[in-house]
Amino acid sequence: MLQVLIDSAIRSAELSFLAVGLTMVYSVLRFANFAHVEFATVGAYLALGLSTTVGLPLWLAAALAILIAGGLGVGIDRVIFSRLRTASPIMLMIASFALGIAMREAVRAIWGPSPFFYNLGILPPWRFLGAFVTPTQVAVIAAAVVAMLAFHFLLSRTTLGIAMRATADNATLSQASGIATDRVIRSVWFIGAGFAALGGVLVGLNTQIKPDMGFGLIIEVFSAAIVGGIGSPYGAILGAILVGFAENVGLAIDWSPVLNAIGFDVGPFTYIPTGYKAAVAFSLLILTLLIRPRGLLGART
Amino acid sequence: MTEFLVYLITIAAIWGILSLSLNLQFGIAGLVNLGHVAFFMLGAYTSTILVVIAGWPIVVGVVAGAIAAALFGMLLALPAANLKEDYWAISTLAAAEIVRIIFLNTRLGGPYVGEAFGVSGIPRPLRDWFDANGYSLADYNLFYMVLVLVVLAACFALVRYLAATPFGRSLKALREGDEVPLALGKSVGGLRIRVMAVGGALAGLAGALFAHYNAFISPEYFLPLETFIVWAMIILGGPGNFLGALVGTVIIQALYNSTRFIAPLLNIDAQVLGPLRMITISVAIILVIMYMPRGIVPERRRRYGR
Repeated sequence: MLQVLIDSAIRSAELSFLAVGLTMVYSVLRFANFAHVEFATVGAYLALGLSTTVGLPLWLAAALAILIAGGLGVGIDRVIFSRLRTASPIMLMIASFALGIAMREAVRAIWGPSPFFYNLGILPPWRFLGAFVTPTQVAVIAAAVVAMLAFHFLLSRTTLGIAMRATADNATLSQASGIATDRVIRSVWFIGAGFAALGGVLVGLNTQIKPDMGFGLIIEVFSAAIVGGIGSPYGAILGAILVGFAENVGLAIDWSPVLNAIGFDVGPFTYIPTGYKAAVAFSLLILTLLIRPRGLLGART
Repeated sequence: MTEFLVYLITIAAIWGILSLSLNLQFGIAGLVNLGHVAFFMLGAYTSTILVVIAGWPIVVGVVAGAIAAALFGMLLALPAANLKEDYWAISTLAAAEIVRIIFLNTRLGGPYVGEAFGVSGIPRPLRDWFDANGYSLADYNLFYMVLVLVVLAACFALVRYLAATPFGRSLKALREGDEVPLALGKSVGGLRIRVMAVGGALAGLAGALFAHYNAFISPEYFLPLETFIVWAMIILGGPGNFLGALVGTVIIQALYNSTRFIAPLLNIDAQVLGPLRMITISVAIILVIMYMPRGIVPERRRRYGR
């Protein structure tokens, strides 16, 4: 059981990096950015390229990859989305969907479709109260806790964070009050894309690096952002934790007592097949849409 | 070359039905359906299961495929009926992935039937008759092309007719926001559910036609990328204009299939060709959204008396 909880915590950490960036871009620019998860893919591959081809140590390669991905986010906003500020959110969504495909296919064209791994050597897992934990998994959880605390500090204690929250709340009013909203938008893209790249590196550390790694997370990431309340950074973290735990716990539970109780005779053991992992996140999403569309921490619209 | 042209026209006509149905949902009613491929897949799989595994006649299979997709459209619209477009986009995208995951993980019978193996040996309508009377495969393919074109023409007439009915005008009002249809006493949720059902039925029909043309289907054919290709067709052609949807379909399909002739000339590796093709289409769509948001054949907006 402890193993399930540890796996859930790791999943939550990875998802929270992506969901926070997604929800930040949404809160300021008011559109669902379907290309967001691709920054994870790009970040993971950049770190791979910098560490294997250039030969940098992995931590430095990852840090550089995060900065480059952040810059890429700012550049993409400059080239595409800044020219579409007056377009309808639907067109922005479609444009971001197209952009996401272009980014993913560019990665596939450069690195090919086969998966890669970071060269970490063999790290023996630690035994911890009967569960196996690898040092990288501890690093993932630690990175998530540190990054989320730093993010909370940024939002609540710095001028930039306050400007971000003001712009998210009312862009016109913030501009009238002397906040350089263009600068805020650039920071939001930088932080959002950088966070996503970090998330991508962490996913790559735990599993493998492949062109679909980001898009494969899109249902979970959007579910996390919507369950928590889209536009709310703290909601996104909460949503990521809920989705991460629901997926792993949902798959680890023996559902047979429930199914037998409601009349299906299924015998002693019935687990949800692992192939249906994404369906758990989707069910949470549909439940949220039915019961509380603005999400757990979302503002009333 | 003729054979390739027949293939291209058949495929373009099948995708034409798909883009007409998405244009009805997005262009006319403004619904952001990012899971269109799910209807296509349900049509293909329902017909295949009924015909190959249950042994029913092909016509019944095709009709059942359309009905299954329509029911799925209604089911999908129920929780989202009164929600904003962002939620539509993500819940339809997610639902389509779930449908694909279900077929990817379900064995439909026997060894190698269903799951990732797909289903092969899907019968083609009237093929036996053509064989018995001494016609060649090329003749048969020509027949199937005409059949699909006739269905496409019928679908075109149907969506044009629907868009001109009071139902169609209510949908256009819905596209501009909930306020007007609500003020006129229309049920916005009901309108959305109905247009998802009609659009779904057409896409399901296209799926069934595809299954019986290709004779083989597997979950690999129904990736989210396919939905994007249909979107590219209507964004390029002009959302809200059915003729535009068809123009977009022809251009994108021609672009998609012509790369196989260009690749040997430019000496491009096959592994890079697929990604390059998708990058070209995506960049083109972004440019269209930036510089030509109403598409090649813009929708004609009628102004009623002032």
